[in-house]
Amino acid sequence: MANGKQSGPEPFENLKLELRRGCLVVAVLGQLRKEQYGYTLRKALADDGLEIDESTLYPLLRRLESQGLLISQWREQDKRNKRFYRLSQVGEGILTQLLEEWQRINASLEKILQEA
Amino acid sequence: MTNTSRRNPMELMDRYLQAVRFWLPKSQHDLALELAEDLHSQVEAKAAELGRPLDEGEVSAILKECGRPVVVAGRLRPQDYLIGPMIFPAYRFILKMTLLWMMLPIFVFVVGPVHFATTGSLGAAIGSTIGAMWTGGFLAAGIITMVFVVIERTQSKLRVADKWDPRSLPPLEKPERKASGGKTACELIFNLMALAWLLLVPYKPFLILGPAASFLNAGPMWHTFYAPVLLLTVASILRLIVILVRPDWVRFPVWSKLLQTVLSLVVVNYMINAAGQTAGAAWHPFVLAAQGGEQAVKIAAVVNVSILVSLVCTWIGLFIAAVVQTWQAVRSFTRKESFTPGSASLHVF
Repeated sequence: MANGKQSGPEPFENLKLELRRGCLVVAVLGQLRKEQYGYTLRKALADDGLEIDESTLYPLLRRLESQGLLISQWREQDKRNKRFYRLSQVGEGILTQLLEEWQRINASLEKILQEA
Repeated sequence: MTNTSRRNPMELMDRYLQAVRFWLPKSQHDLALELAEDLHSQVEAKAAELGRPLDEGEVSAILKECGRPVVVAGRLRPQDYLIGPMIFPAYRFILKMTLLWMMLPIFVFVVGPVHFATTGSLGAAIGSTIGAMWTGGFLAAGIITMVFVVIERTQSKLRVADKWDPRSLPPLEKPERKASGGKTACELIFNLMALAWLLLVPYKPFLILGPAASFLNAGPMWHTFYAPVLLLTVASILRLIVILVRPDWVRFPVWSKLLQTVLSLVVVNYMINAAGQTAGAAWHPFVLAAQGGEQAVKIAAVVNVSILVSLVCTWIGLFIAAVVQTWQAVRSFTRKESFTPGSASLHVF
């Protein structure tokens, strides 16, 4: 039983962060089916309603790359060096699995919330 | 035009990136390059939107939104720690047990009194004890931390987390019980008998020396320590009466027992030290030969040595008891409510 001690925006913000963490991975993998560099990726995510700051995105990209889900390449564009990312073959498989899992969780949640 | 607005606004960006790089390890400097590219893109996008280059204030606003360099670098760098979350509870437990439940009682109840007995000055004893406790505490904490850092670095290779058996878990803790009235009453009777015996000893020495009382007398040390020993016995009787009268004070027996043990330890410690200081050919701290016979002197020497050995053994026993009772007292203090077997089912279902 809840003790009712926690109230206000802080618990919500913390829970929202937890909820977003997993979703961001799926969103980033989904966006990188098309090659992009950091800024355009952030902009694309923000345009679709998922804002992500620099210090969250770049370590996430690095982690996904070290797990073999992304491939990156430094290239010059508009007289500036930019690191371009795209989904690897392994990443494509993982994204498919994650999306299936996402659908399952979503269906379960809908069912639970309808029952309540 | 102010001096600030004449400056190249992009210099601010370079200063910002330099500050971020400072907090990043060299292996992560490419992250700073990506951040630099991102920030330049933001500046370009904003300039395109306004149709003019940004001034220092506008660049500053973009950097401020990005965050303080040290915070940004902290978020950019991979999470690194000396002791990870998996073994941290064990690390905290060992550290707490060593520093608070072992070292602190040892320094307070053993090292402190020993320093006081050797220096004879309370201030000097407190100073040297605190100094030794500080050094010892740091050393112990450092060694424990180093051991856990090694465990942290090796545990993933050794797969320690997988090697466990639920059957090796400790048994359920027994709920805290009220002191048994019968046992306390028996203890009280024995303590009253001990008090009576102690009060009679000065008048009837044979009660302590037996037949040897005809040729042995109590040494001068007993005059010094008789009163503290008597007071300890009285305190013990009062303690048992309180336990009998207030059985609902469940923590009182544990804490008062600890206090009694510690006081006894201090008295015994003083007795051993005092006996040690009366060195020399005529070493007879506890008993004296009443008659000058060689046989009586030899018996007095044997009795003195036996009493000293008994006191040393008592000191060791009391010290072990003090450590165990400290543990029990701390446990009784930290235990918020007693755990009733079967309540685990609430978590299972």
